[in-house]
Amino acid sequence: MADGAIFDRISGVLVLLLGVGAVWHGLSLEVAFAADPVGPKAFPIIVGLILLVCGASIALRPKAMAWEVGDYGRILLVALSSLVYPFILLPLGFVPATAILGFLCALAFKGRPIPALFGSTIMAIVIFALIDLGLGLGLPRGPLGM
Amino acid sequence: MDALASLAYGFSVALTPFNLLLALLGAALGTAVGALPGIGPINSIVLLLPLCFALGLPPESALILLAGIYYGSGYGGRISSILLNIPGDPGLVMTTLDGFPLAQKGRGAAALAISGIGSFVGGTLTVVLLTFLAVPLARIAVTFGPAEYVALMTLSFTLLATIGEARPAKTWAAIALGLLLAMVGIDGGSGIERFTFGSLELLGGIDFTTLTIGLFAVSEILVVAEGLRSGTVTSYSGGERLKWSEIRACIPAMLRATGLGFFLGILPATGAAVSSALAYTVEKRISDRGTFGKGDMRGLASPETADNAAQTASMVPMLALGIPGSGTTAVLLGALMMYSVTPGPLLFTQRPEIAWGLIASMYIGNVMLLVLNLPLVGLFARLLLVPYWILFPGILGLSFAGVYAATNSSFELVLAVLLGILAYVMRKVGFPLIPLLIAFVLARLFEDNLRRAMSLSDGNPAILFQSPVAVAIWLVALAVLLVPLIAPRLRKRVAHMVDSET
Repeated sequence: MADGAIFDRISGVLVLLLGVGAVWHGLSLEVAFAADPVGPKAFPIIVGLILLVCGASIALRPKAMAWEVGDYGRILLVALSSLVYPFILLPLGFVPATAILGFLCALAFKGRPIPALFGSTIMAIVIFALIDLGLGLGLPRGPLGM
Repeated sequence: MDALASLAYGFSVALTPFNLLLALLGAALGTAVGALPGIGPINSIVLLLPLCFALGLPPESALILLAGIYYGSGYGGRISSILLNIPGDPGLVMTTLDGFPLAQKGRGAAALAISGIGSFVGGTLTVVLLTFLAVPLARIAVTFGPAEYVALMTLSFTLLATIGEARPAKTWAAIALGLLLAMVGIDGGSGIERFTFGSLELLGGIDFTTLTIGLFAVSEILVVAEGLRSGTVTSYSGGERLKWSEIRACIPAMLRATGLGFFLGILPATGAAVSSALAYTVEKRISDRGTFGKGDMRGLASPETADNAAQTASMVPMLALGIPGSGTTAVLLGALMMYSVTPGPLLFTQRPEIAWGLIASMYIGNVMLLVLNLPLVGLFARLLLVPYWILFPGILGLSFAGVYAATNSSFELVLAVLLGILAYVMRKVGFPLIPLLIAFVLARLFEDNLRRAMSLSDGNPAILFQSPVAVAIWLVALAVLLVPLIAPRLRKRVAHMVDSET
């Protein structure tokens, strides 16, 4: 077996574990009242069993695949700044938070720092103007009021 | 004629100035997002949904706008395929084969024109078929009870798994994951929490916007960030204009492609990618004199026509049965559900303004798109020049603003990002995302129908197999399910036939 099969082995086992978890969760639900004879337990169990079978099939009969090597630094930058974004959104307000997110992502997409800074600030203001001021869908306003 | 009278009624809805404007807006936006990498129709429809609510659009107007984006994107996608040799999605790979050589020969403008005409032919002829087929199909479906619906949805899942591009076990896993994600929250029938792990935020379930943005916008941006694809725009101006004789030569190819695209588009799972690949292959078998792949007009017209025909045809099961066959129709269905409109066969009798208004708007929209795309294609092509470092942060910012506007919670943003990272990993190891989305949208309907059927029979599962229609659907589903086990070679041969063209 080529070492490329490792991805199917791992993902298959994860799917299998997810299935076991779903079945277990379904079984452990305590139903005091249900409007129908089946109740809420059956569906998680059925779906869990499907996951279990699929996971086993993928893990036991893995197919080799090549993992295309890309630029992980850039992915990490985009993923981390996206993950941090929800936590700075409320304290800072939409425009500053989105400008920071946009700036970091622009760097990940090979933008030069100064234009990226201006571009992402303008981008954040435009989106804010469009959605909050224009359409009245409230976006978080921080200490700056925007 | 019943259908014609209804269609006339539909036009009376779609031809109001406001709805015309929305159709135009949808068509133009659709072309733009189709042309741009990274955003795509699924994300744009989901992002526009909160706007539709904010503007207080009635459901038929919202659907006219959103559907405009859907079929408009079929027109826009060809631009980067032809000029950059970069297909925006798998359905467009075939467009590059003869489209890019034509652009290299200096006939980019003609290539864009013939593919625009092809998109129009495929889209419009399919709307005509849809007009006459939807109601008879819906009439059959009205008689379906919960048991038949359970069977039908199972059939559509098996089709996704068997015909889809990914390995069946992985597609099934994706479907099950979609069903699982939809179960998070309070169960309607019993008031019990499922898969919430004690989290208050998860009580209401995972928001549709959150899931879609995570699955498609965030993961797409991660994929692009990983390996920046880029190309230089081939000149589209100048060159010899498209000649009548060239259009005439393409007509048989377009008609064949429409038929193929229509039938494949109605089925779940096959969608645009398979139909454009198959149309190209068929056309090559029929007409190739050694010119295909070197810039043959027919090799360009055929997949573009099939692509749009399949896109429009996938509206048939969505409207008539309430079962979406593609990612974008799943999103449209989700939009209808958010408007608390029950999709399905009764739509035609209970909310004709939605069903027929939408169908009529598709006639109008396709004409608008042809008009928009022939002279203005240069404008859309200029969108390709937007640098990535502006485009992708913009898409990300807009996506997050959309999620926040729809849910008012930063928890949903975290969820969207985590789902996006999960989706990115799934894409890397070959799990398809569209079946996950379709399953997520159908899950509630599936479980409700299953439990309703069991209620009718007091818990006896035999009810699922009682009516002849249900039995027939189950048998087809079983046959489809077993195909990869019995005839693994058949799948490989089809795959090979398609692969050998790319």
